[in-house]
Amino acid sequence: MSVELPADTDAVQTPEEIADLLGDLVIGREEHLNAPGFVIKPDTVVDALRRLRDQAGFDHLSCVTAEEYEDRYESIYHLTSYDDRTQEVSIVVPADKENPVSQSANEVFRTADWHEREAYDLIGIEYDDHPDLRRILLPETWQGHPLGQSYDQDQPQVVPLREHQNPLLEDQKADNDSETMYLNIGPHHPATHGVLHIKTVLDGEQVVDLEPDIGYLHRCEEQMCQNSTYRYQIMPYPDRWDYISAGLLNEWAYARTAEELADIEVPEYAQIIRTMGAELCRMAAHFLALGTFALDIYGDFTALFMYSIRDREKVQNILEELTGQRLMFNYFRLGGVVWDLPEPREEFFEMTRDFLDDLPTALEEYHDMMTSNEILQVRTVDTGVLPPEVAKSYGATGPVARGSGIDYDVRRDDPYGYYENLDWDVVTEDGCDNFSRLLVRMREVEESAKIVEQCIDLLEDWPEDERNIQSNVPRTIKPDDDTEIYKAVEGAKGELGIYIRSDGTEKPGRFKIRSPCFSNLQTLPEMSNGEYVPDAIASLGSLDIVLGEVDR
Amino acid sequence: MAGVLQGEVLLPEQIADLLGLEGALGAAVGALIGAFVVGNVMLAFTGVAGPWAKRKITAAFTDRIAVNRIGPFGLFIIIADSVRLLSKELIIPDGADRPSYDLAPLILPASAMLGFAVIPMGSLGPFNIQLADPEAGLALVFAFASIASISLVMGGYASNNKYSLMGGLRAVAQNIAYEIPLIVTAMSVVVFTGSLQLSTIVAEQSTTLVSIAGVSIPAWFAFVNPFAFVLFLVANMAEIGRNPFDIPEAPTEIVAGYQTEYSSVYFVLFYLGEFLHVFLGGAIMATIFLGGPAGPVLPGFVWFVIKIWAFFLFTQWARSALPRVRIDQLIEIGWKGMLVLSFANLVLTAIIVGVIA
Repeated sequence: MSVELPADTDAVQTPEEIADLLGDLVIGREEHLNAPGFVIKPDTVVDALRRLRDQAGFDHLSCVTAEEYEDRYESIYHLTSYDDRTQEVSIVVPADKENPVSQSANEVFRTADWHEREAYDLIGIEYDDHPDLRRILLPETWQGHPLGQSYDQDQPQVVPLREHQNPLLEDQKADNDSETMYLNIGPHHPATHGVLHIKTVLDGEQVVDLEPDIGYLHRCEEQMCQNSTYRYQIMPYPDRWDYISAGLLNEWAYARTAEELADIEVPEYAQIIRTMGAELCRMAAHFLALGTFALDIYGDFTALFMYSIRDREKVQNILEELTGQRLMFNYFRLGGVVWDLPEPREEFFEMTRDFLDDLPTALEEYHDMMTSNEILQVRTVDTGVLPPEVAKSYGATGPVARGSGIDYDVRRDDPYGYYENLDWDVVTEDGCDNFSRLLVRMREVEESAKIVEQCIDLLEDWPEDERNIQSNVPRTIKPDDDTEIYKAVEGAKGELGIYIRSDGTEKPGRFKIRSPCFSNLQTLPEMSNGEYVPDAIASLGSLDIVLGEVDR
Repeated sequence: MAGVLQGEVLLPEQIADLLGLEGALGAAVGALIGAFVVGNVMLAFTGVAGPWAKRKITAAFTDRIAVNRIGPFGLFIIIADSVRLLSKELIIPDGADRPSYDLAPLILPASAMLGFAVIPMGSLGPFNIQLADPEAGLALVFAFASIASISLVMGGYASNNKYSLMGGLRAVAQNIAYEIPLIVTAMSVVVFTGSLQLSTIVAEQSTTLVSIAGVSIPAWFAFVNPFAFVLFLVANMAEIGRNPFDIPEAPTEIVAGYQTEYSSVYFVLFYLGEFLHVFLGGAIMATIFLGGPAGPVLPGFVWFVIKIWAFFLFTQWARSALPRVRIDQLIEIGWKGMLVLSFANLVLTAIIVGVIA
């Protein structure tokens, strides 16, 4: 294995040591498939998380899952470490059924802010000491908590904006003496890459305060997955989270979690095809990120956008050959992939090789036109600065974290698929600015190309009678009752995690998606406050968010 | 050198002669017809440039084909687009400040059209296409061109939209920062010619600078003082608000800047006005740096048209290739860079001209 292993930390390694560290805070133990779970009281959350962060190296709050049971509410804090992704621990916080109040973790991890707002919004748990406990995905006037057990779907939800929040009304107008100007950027604005609403307060051209308002593209993806069977029905949905050609990467997140949950083996041959397809998707997604970032910096008709779309098109053609689809692939199955490489295989290999051969020239062109352009450099270097400590506190992952010098990549740190057998590097840049994030994406395209090339070589030489694309998987999958698992893969935008709790049926009891864009977008105010409007727009572009994944 | 026609009879008088009219009536009718012809030629250019040439040029730079379905080379898109744009609903936002909201889109094209009145466009057949040739022609053309920023501020302010307001304010800041270097650089040409009259400036450039192997290089000021030419080119791009200085519009930042709220006919007028200003910018460049209508073989007017279209092509090239600078960087370049350089250029030119002469 040529990939460098993460450095050993002095961190606590075994569940027993973690239990010792938490001491009398622990009131019970659970066993999740991915990590040990410790049950703590709802008023000791800050204490427990701080101990784990400071003394055991659990500095990454990956996700917060909330759920309502018959007798209690429950929040689960999925912790891991940026230095060692395989170190995982779940902190389970039950809250009272009648009065679901739990302490907020916002003090220890800033990322808890949005995650807990989502839990409040959809489940109904109230978080004590939370700085800003409002609904996040649903409108502020929504009645009830849709994923809670007592939610009444037939309840009418007609609340017009003009009654609730109308900036034109006298009593809701901003102070006339104020020196600042309030500006709505979005939900319809050329630079929001979808339907994002940014509430901005400006002082002249400078951003004083900025708050992303999300939820315009909320499509109940979690609930739809909860209403579908493991075997076939869930797989098409991940394609629709990050729909910027990252479909296979998303599918892999579900495939990995469900396969581990139901203990399904994946044949090596299928793993190589998966790895190749996923990296092709990553390239396509990064090309688009490059192009849209160019739009934000250059203006609406830059040549770079068309060039990157042209190169993405080539990847899409390869993916179309492979999966039969251009965007919503639905190519992975539990236990493998749906079909083998297209026949004649030589043509497919040749097509892919042609693309890989042309890639260095194309990248050279991007570097000529983009990264070596002085205007672009003065626009992006030292703007949108995101220091590594801040990035970690917000749970930033993917190119955003790596652009801040955080050496963290799930593909290497918690290996899956065929990555650990291949020769490639994790790309990091230390600039922490918009330029670094751009460079990381461009260099990651090169790394992905290396991976695809090695996969092609392997697939080409694979013996014909060993081309096993799917293992034997039962027609219906019913994992044991009350099994819990949280697993993540490296999506195009960062760590894409899925939590599943099985309830003994063929459908998940709880299905929670940890979206990298959701956490990354949270850093936008940190990057933009005090900067100019164009830089805030550039920072938003450099985060490369997809609203389909933010809102789910 | 064909097409350099200093001291020749101007277009309005030629028309009056042709019609056999004399005196004040002849001057008035000649001027009206002349202005009508010149104005329509310029509008026709923008008509071709806006819906068709811009698309084709951008497409060529960005690996696309662009319009090719309607008519030869997609040329009839001009008709289709005109119908489309004019048949749209004219939306006037609540709280728009009228009549300045309505005046702004008229002022922009009008100011550019006025500028063409004094530009010597060379000869075509028997006609010498220049409407007027006042002593202070150069000052006049800059004065006309800079009326544009009033229109942008009016539109931006009157729209009652925050994005429009920001666009309007950006336009003012940008115009103030770049107008001074622009005019100061133009003055370095006046130091050579000793006259603000545009026909004199053109005539000055018809002499031979050097002869290399029998090919005589004319004394165009772009060759005489390339430094001033580059300065002027950059300042001109900022003055007309094209990339990388398109920050008053800055789509993806402030939506469309001052023209965010404009639709239908008003939008068309703004759009026309912008293109007219690009062509006027090109015409000024051609006149004071590129020998005006001078050029071999072809009639002067054809050379003039080639030069202003070349400038248009250049703006589209920049649009496809260059990132937009930030507002504070733009102001910094204007005040700390361009201003200093343009004054240095003026002083140096004055000293050199003084020593030689």
